[in-house]
Amino acid sequence: MLQVTAPVSLIQQFTDSAIKAVATVEVIDRTPTALRDAILRAVGDAKRILYAPPQELPVALFSDFATDPRVIADATAEELVHSAAGVTEAFAAVASTGSVCIDVSYERTGMVSLLAPLQIAVVAAETIVPQPRDLFRVDVLDGKGLARDFVFVTGPSATADMGPLVRGVHGPHKLHIIVLR
Amino acid sequence: MATSVNPADITPREVANKSDKKALLQALRMTLGVQSAAVRRNTQTFNNNRYAAIARLPDYNELKDRARQIKENAIANLPELLRQLEASVRANGGNFYLAKTAADANQYIRDVLVHHEAKLVVKGKSITSEETKLNHALEAAGIKVAESDLAEFILQVADEQPSHIVAPALHYSRERITALFKRKFNTNLPLDTGEELTKFAREILREQFIAADAGISGANLIAADSGSIMLVESEGNIRMTTTLPPVHIAIAGIEKVVPSRKDFGTFIELLPRSGTGQPLTSYVSILHPPLKAPTFAAPGKEAAKTREFHMVLIDNGRSRMREDPVLFEALYCIRCSACLNSCANFETVGGHAFGGETYSGGIGGSWEAGTGTLSNARFSELCTACSRCVPNCPVRIDIPWLNENLRQRMNHAQGASPAKFLFGEMTGSAPEDSVAPLQKQFFGNYDAFGKWGTRFASLANASIHMPGARSLMQSAFGVDRRRSLPSFPKKTWEQLYREERNGKQSTLQPGLMMLADVFTNYGAPERGMAAIRVLRAIGLDVVLSPAMSDGRAAMSQGMIDTARREARAIAPMLRRYLDEGRKIVVTEPSVLAMLRFDFKHLLDDDETQKRLAQNSFEPLEYLWQVAQEQRLNLAQTFPTNRCPQGTRLFYHSHCQQRTCNSAAQTIEVLRAAGFDVVTSSVECCGMAGSFGYKHEYYELSIAVGEDLFAQVRRADQEGGPRTLVASGTSCHEQLLAGMGREVFHPAELLASTLA
Repeated sequence: MLQVTAPVSLIQQFTDSAIKAVATVEVIDRTPTALRDAILRAVGDAKRILYAPPQELPVALFSDFATDPRVIADATAEELVHSAAGVTEAFAAVASTGSVCIDVSYERTGMVSLLAPLQIAVVAAETIVPQPRDLFRVDVLDGKGLARDFVFVTGPSATADMGPLVRGVHGPHKLHIIVLR
Repeated sequence: MATSVNPADITPREVANKSDKKALLQALRMTLGVQSAAVRRNTQTFNNNRYAAIARLPDYNELKDRARQIKENAIANLPELLRQLEASVRANGGNFYLAKTAADANQYIRDVLVHHEAKLVVKGKSITSEETKLNHALEAAGIKVAESDLAEFILQVADEQPSHIVAPALHYSRERITALFKRKFNTNLPLDTGEELTKFAREILREQFIAADAGISGANLIAADSGSIMLVESEGNIRMTTTLPPVHIAIAGIEKVVPSRKDFGTFIELLPRSGTGQPLTSYVSILHPPLKAPTFAAPGKEAAKTREFHMVLIDNGRSRMREDPVLFEALYCIRCSACLNSCANFETVGGHAFGGETYSGGIGGSWEAGTGTLSNARFSELCTACSRCVPNCPVRIDIPWLNENLRQRMNHAQGASPAKFLFGEMTGSAPEDSVAPLQKQFFGNYDAFGKWGTRFASLANASIHMPGARSLMQSAFGVDRRRSLPSFPKKTWEQLYREERNGKQSTLQPGLMMLADVFTNYGAPERGMAAIRVLRAIGLDVVLSPAMSDGRAAMSQGMIDTARREARAIAPMLRRYLDEGRKIVVTEPSVLAMLRFDFKHLLDDDETQKRLAQNSFEPLEYLWQVAQEQRLNLAQTFPTNRCPQGTRLFYHSHCQQRTCNSAAQTIEVLRAAGFDVVTSSVECCGMAGSFGYKHEYYELSIAVGEDLFAQVRRADQEGGPRTLVASGTSCHEQLLAGMGREVFHPAELLASTLA
């Protein structure tokens, strides 16, 4: 498999920012086994794991993970709203903010990344851009940020409306990011 | 405020419309009594976070310039952009509706929902839908509306209007939310923590997201070139609202349209940082709906075949604002709330007092006037023009100028009266401004009273203390009797300067002219003399100008014609000194701000205005510049061991001084001389010129001052009381009132070290 590397400093900056935004991050090798192991470590003893197959990354990369019996790739509505974790790819990430960018028009990526309490986003290191504004440039990531319906996800959902800061509101309570070297 | 109503018995709704000033005064009582602690905590957290966030954004100023330019172009080309947007939305497969009025927008949305036989809609936070009162319109048609933003959820339960444009329920403490939910939901669940309250609301709303027939969102920005919308949130409710229901309706004002989705790149860096102080909020959605994702159906329900999208843009007065020579600037607002959070008055009372039925804070008056009627902007009187919002606005809106104009229009909307006219004639109001209330003309023509008061100082000072005098001043001019009034000095600054010079000619090169501003000249001439001595101590030649009014006092009362007349009279005099090769030094920061910024609205000569702005300085700002250039040893020039007030200082810089970027230099000078300086971090002392003297705002002014007083007391705890130092005239009065001890100008302390 072709290994494309992002500057180490950008990965490091992304990791630091994401942690500041109360996400967790793991940087792994780009192999099906490593990815499966990383995801299963993150989900713990979840009984149902929602999975939206990727649009950018090779589906084969997820092949080991997808064979786990707890993984649901074509969830019913009932399953969508009652699963412990949701796994999707992110087509980009932002170093300065620790955000991952999720395409919400591609199949069920939007719903899978939204409805489960634990969100897991898988992102290729070479798609990390320095700042949010870079997603609005034609010359960055082939202009995907200008063409798609997507969400910058920065940490878990949160609110300060009930007095103190509370993490975990309508969206996921936890965000785990897996960066593929 | 003579009324016996318990603040807790006043409901926010009944005082939302402040056309009648009584409602404003009731709202102040209610917010000071019930909401102030929560509002303070939350707005000041946002404010501190914003300062920290923008400090980490290296090109903050360039981004603001670009944002301003994008908005200027967008509003200038709005009709064309709307046509382009309509085509883009339709090309995406969405529907587009441009509503002339709030009622039109509501009817369109209701028709869409009725067509779909919708029973339940979930809504994301949309202040625009508060403006149109959409919920009422839908509920009247039998459609249930579930507010899904937790703050809006609280307001829906409590039946209150938003108190803040970004965090609409920030006037609620956790304890008050617990009490509200227990009462309204009749539950015995504990609900004693933020987590428990959030879980309680989440479970109610989760079912509604799943069951909803349609979702209604707002839009932070809309791109004409692609029909894209940007939605900023943290809870995930907007993602739910735009993802789960088959029908998505986005409602927004026409001013949200920018030319291109590429423009989002500028605003995405500025908006969250300026709002909550986060680099990004948890979720920022960039959509050009309808989404192509498969539809979702609640378990057991049949899925809709396709997704449907409606963009509903409302005009509702915005086109009229666009044509307005002043209010057009409010259309640049991106609703970030930085102007609310950086406003000392707003921090103390929030939007239920400093706000109308929908919009709040410094920018809110223009919006209430623009989308409603002028009198709805009455609450904009709470803007003291302290100007702290100006450098914090990501699109550089001159919010005090908007409010001064609203004030002028409200003054003019009042009837003329012989008493007002005569008073205006005597005190120097421009004819147009002599319809203004006596209180405004009294404060607006301060120079007239200064002239009279100093000429007959003993008589004036004695008469203020005569029995009945303060009652008379309170009833005639609304000067609160609890405020001590500064005594008039026996000699003006001009007189002291003449006596001191006594015909001597300076041997130095012409260097500086100090403006004998009316506040220093008639109120605090000793501070002016101290500033002259301090500047001379580093070898600068200083002359004093004749005392002349600069327009600040009049402008703060909305007497813009008077201010314009005064500005145009003083400008040629100031210019002559510049032509001699002198720089202008101004002791009173509010006057310096006139020369630096406000004259651009008042002078008709751009070149003079620019020269004045570039060549005017606060005294210690100028001193610090020279000390840096010439590597002066200030500790040697100003031996602080000679200072009778000691070396331990508490320094409070003036609000407008900070906006002029002329405050930090004073601290540098004092420290370089050897003083030990603790500084305040409040936005404004609360006196704000005449504001704190006004009878109806006395309690608010003191409440604002409490933050400053608390900082002084904290600083005093270690090592005993510090000497109080302030640069602004009104800050002196406020600190004196709050701390009961003498307050010095920094120049006075430095001068006291000179032999």
